[in-house]
Amino acid sequence: MRNESFSKTIDWGLLSVFLLMILIGVANVYSAAFDPKSPELFDFSQKYGKQIMWVGISLFLGLMVFLIEASIYRKFAIPIYLACLALLVVVLFMPSVNGARAWIGIGSLGIQPAEFAKIGTAIALSSYINSINVKQQSVNTVIVANIILVIPMLLILLQPDAGTFVVFTSFLFVMYREGITYDPIVLQLINLIPGVKFKKTWVGSHFIPILFVVIFLSIITLLMSNNTITFTFLPGIEIPGFFGVIGSLFTIALISFLVLRWFSSKREQNRVTMIVIIGFVLCSFISTFVNFSFQGLRKHQKDRIELFLGLREDPDGEDYNRNRAMAAVGSGGLTGKGYKNASVASVESNHVPESETDFIFCPLAEEWGFIGSLAIMGMFLFMLIRIIKIAERQKSRFNRVYAYSVAMIIFYHFAVNIGMNIGFAPVIGIPLPFFSYGGSSMMSFSVMIFILLKLDSQRGDLLS
Amino acid sequence: MNSEGRKYVVLLFFIIVTVIYTTRLFYMQVIDDSWTLRAQQIAEKRKQITPPRGVVFDRFGKKIVTNKTFFNLMMTEEKITHLDTNAFAKLIGWTPHKVKSRFWEIKLGEGVYHNPHSGKTTSNYQKMRSYPFVKEIGLEQMSKIAPYLHNFPGFYEEITSMRSYPYANAANILGYLSEVTKEEIDVDNFYRPSDAIGRAGLEKFYEKELRGIKGIHYVVTSALNNAIEPYANGKYDTTAQQGPPLKLGVSINLQAYGEKLLKNKRGCIVAIEPKTGEILALVSAPSFDPNLFVGRKNISKNYPKLLKDPNKPLYPRPLSAEYPPGSTFKLIQSLVGLQEGVITPGSGFPCTKSMVGCHNHPSATTLAKAIQYSCNPYYYHLVKRIIQQGKRKKNTEDSEIGLNKWAKYMNSFGFGISLETDINGVRPGLIPNSKYYDKWYGHHNWAFSTIRSISIGQGEVKSTPLQLANLAAIIANRGWYYVPHFVKSIGKKGPLPIYRKKKYTMVRGKHFGPIIEGMRRVVNEKGGTGSQAKMDSIIVCGKTGTVQNPHGKDHSVFIAFAPKEQPKIAIAVFIENAGFGGTWAAPIARLMMEKFILGKIVNKEKEERILKSDLDGVKKNKE
Repeated sequence: MRNESFSKTIDWGLLSVFLLMILIGVANVYSAAFDPKSPELFDFSQKYGKQIMWVGISLFLGLMVFLIEASIYRKFAIPIYLACLALLVVVLFMPSVNGARAWIGIGSLGIQPAEFAKIGTAIALSSYINSINVKQQSVNTVIVANIILVIPMLLILLQPDAGTFVVFTSFLFVMYREGITYDPIVLQLINLIPGVKFKKTWVGSHFIPILFVVIFLSIITLLMSNNTITFTFLPGIEIPGFFGVIGSLFTIALISFLVLRWFSSKREQNRVTMIVIIGFVLCSFISTFVNFSFQGLRKHQKDRIELFLGLREDPDGEDYNRNRAMAAVGSGGLTGKGYKNASVASVESNHVPESETDFIFCPLAEEWGFIGSLAIMGMFLFMLIRIIKIAERQKSRFNRVYAYSVAMIIFYHFAVNIGMNIGFAPVIGIPLPFFSYGGSSMMSFSVMIFILLKLDSQRGDLLS
Repeated sequence: MNSEGRKYVVLLFFIIVTVIYTTRLFYMQVIDDSWTLRAQQIAEKRKQITPPRGVVFDRFGKKIVTNKTFFNLMMTEEKITHLDTNAFAKLIGWTPHKVKSRFWEIKLGEGVYHNPHSGKTTSNYQKMRSYPFVKEIGLEQMSKIAPYLHNFPGFYEEITSMRSYPYANAANILGYLSEVTKEEIDVDNFYRPSDAIGRAGLEKFYEKELRGIKGIHYVVTSALNNAIEPYANGKYDTTAQQGPPLKLGVSINLQAYGEKLLKNKRGCIVAIEPKTGEILALVSAPSFDPNLFVGRKNISKNYPKLLKDPNKPLYPRPLSAEYPPGSTFKLIQSLVGLQEGVITPGSGFPCTKSMVGCHNHPSATTLAKAIQYSCNPYYYHLVKRIIQQGKRKKNTEDSEIGLNKWAKYMNSFGFGISLETDINGVRPGLIPNSKYYDKWYGHHNWAFSTIRSISIGQGEVKSTPLQLANLAAIIANRGWYYVPHFVKSIGKKGPLPIYRKKKYTMVRGKHFGPIIEGMRRVVNEKGGTGSQAKMDSIIVCGKTGTVQNPHGKDHSVFIAFAPKEQPKIAIAVFIENAGFGGTWAAPIARLMMEKFILGKIVNKEKEERILKSDLDGVKKNKE
């Protein structure tokens, strides 16, 4: 009886895309880490064997999650959060591996507490936001929410693990969605000026997405304006990278304008038009500003930024990883070189380091080409939209905040990981969810999804 | 505050980022293939197997160009451990300083990576790649080095092949090889650095045939530069194919004999088989041993030396030297005269020495006798009739028409045009037409009397020895020729199509009889100028020429063919600063013909005289 209702209430869309990704992920790890000496898929001495083991454990954990009442997470939010923090403290006393104290346990069977801290923080944040009054947004609320966030972030920075540190900023978007923004702080600051009395500021409310857009746009502008865009089919035509950025912005504006007009009601159309135009003008302005202020920087300042972004023309030195990764992705062509046929990203050639973990997208894109890349992009976009849809149908605020947390974490991993494979993001070592080899990330992302599915399936049970 | 609308902000982010990334992926993977090229640079290696070049045979099947095995000493820096520079230098016979500077030369010079995105260029030298450290080591030296090479990890030998010339002759025909330049590699992706390319002669002209087809094995290589597996299971691999053998019309023995005869002389011999247009010998004196130009070391040592030699051994005299043809030109003037109908074989002209000088000889009562005595005034009158046929009242206008017609005749005999033989560097000579003289004297401001010296092959007229030999071949054939060429067959294919096309002159075959009779008289009758070319068993037809040389002693010229019936060889001999044509050029031509037709020399004394002479001294004394 219970099972039947469970099968009816579970979100099959999300579960299917999750299982599909894990399946492709295993197949891909098999290719990326293939050892001709032990071609058995279930050889547990090999990475693909282990990955299957991790998938098995993850699915088992998922089963456990399905059996446990969903309310447990809300009830035990603080203990879960504190347990995660405790692990983050413990890990700092572990021996250093590759210059970071990120592992508890030995060798490949160890776990990374930082991966699980994401879930703990998501639950804690959901629980806290659930508990506060929606209408009351005080400086205190903002501060408490930020403290929940900042403690694990600082502990992770101590390991150090810059990638996961960055991922934690995704919670700012979750808070943004829930109306917990820096507006109260901005208001307090602004209202200090005599004679000014604002009730809310637009900049303060939308501070996080604006910041995100500015950072994203700046990085892309800097990366692209360094290059010249050429076309194989149209030899001789060369577009300076900066004009490429402006052109892309214009294209995006045009497409979003058309799409938004299509979906928006007649009443909203003028507003939508205005937003798109203002957005385009502002983005172009930011992009131009970044481009020219970068040109105007002193040489050593420029060098530092170029080094961080990997803009240095040093394909065999500083920029080795990214150069090899981009060569692998770019050489995939339309249909790819075929399964297990990668020549740059294959494990034997080893041109792309970490091709089974952080650069797992390389063998995928090289072997399956643009078609394969498009499928991956499509699956992630589908999953993200699906999670937002699930989030928005929750009656419980706890569930919604949690769902948003999951969506944003996955989005961050997706955007940064793929971004560094295509030269759009600096090389920060974070895994691609469901694809990268590794027990901790596989288990944490799976559990994250299973908890969401469980919460969603029980959304009608009890209102909190 | 209602924050529900903010879900659209989040969704918009998801969509925009995905769209931007997808567009970028589309650009990287589908539109722009510079990353594919980069990937090939990184992970694919084309292992090229350079086949040996095609070999070359002479007309009797003697191998005159073959390949010899050499070695390159390769270096892989990564594998070098504790190199004892002094011991290594001693082993390869270098100074330790040279060993060190060679390291830097390789590091700075080899392999440069050009980024198409930024236009920046960075060195692509890699420690794990192999580079040739010492090139072109002979078998003998390598056999001394090889046993000790294991003491120097990081160095190993690689086999290559180089040209070898069993006969020390025909360097001017065969040409030589040298390393390709960067520009050549850019133009033709067949070549890789340190590949050889034909630089001159047949090696250059038939480069595309001789070089063969490279075998290419595509392999996937690892970051440590180890070959892992054949790329795409060897789908794109090709096997190396040696270039097809070339068979020449040249007889290497005749060529060698010609070079021997012209020792200590400057000049040339061109011998052609009339019925095929195949060049039997093309001697350019002074000559040199083609083996001097095998390998970098030899070229860099010998090339400047030969280039500076005042006798210009590198100058392709038979093809490029444009001399006035002298009296040999009278043959073609006679032919044009007959074809134009301005004379008959029986025509005679008085030897009036008022306009052009002459020597004392019996009077030329027929055309054949005029050729026999090489009477200058006869040709003054004859060519005057060709150029001024009385078609216009004014001599100047008449000459314009006549000269242009005459020039067309000359062109049909291969004069004034380039005879496109299969070696580069052929010059057209010069046949003046009305435009030419208009430039000098002004339009309608000249007549035959102004340009009369062309009638005896002097003045503005210029021709190459190749053109003169071709003239002899045309007369032997009675009115047609194949463009003279060296290569009879390329593998199983015959000569190039342009050498299979018969070319007819504007003079009918029937007019050649009297001229051939004249040439016979030149050699065989009393009072003929070319009696030195006479042979006992074979009737030789020839014509002497003495080319006036304002810079020194006259040049000695002789053209001939033999035997009179069914000619086997047509020849032109040109000896610089040797004086009268009958004295030096004629006997040399005779020896060459004897050698080719009979295969032996009957009159050893005459040969002795030629071999002992040192006409080269003329130039040396002057300088």
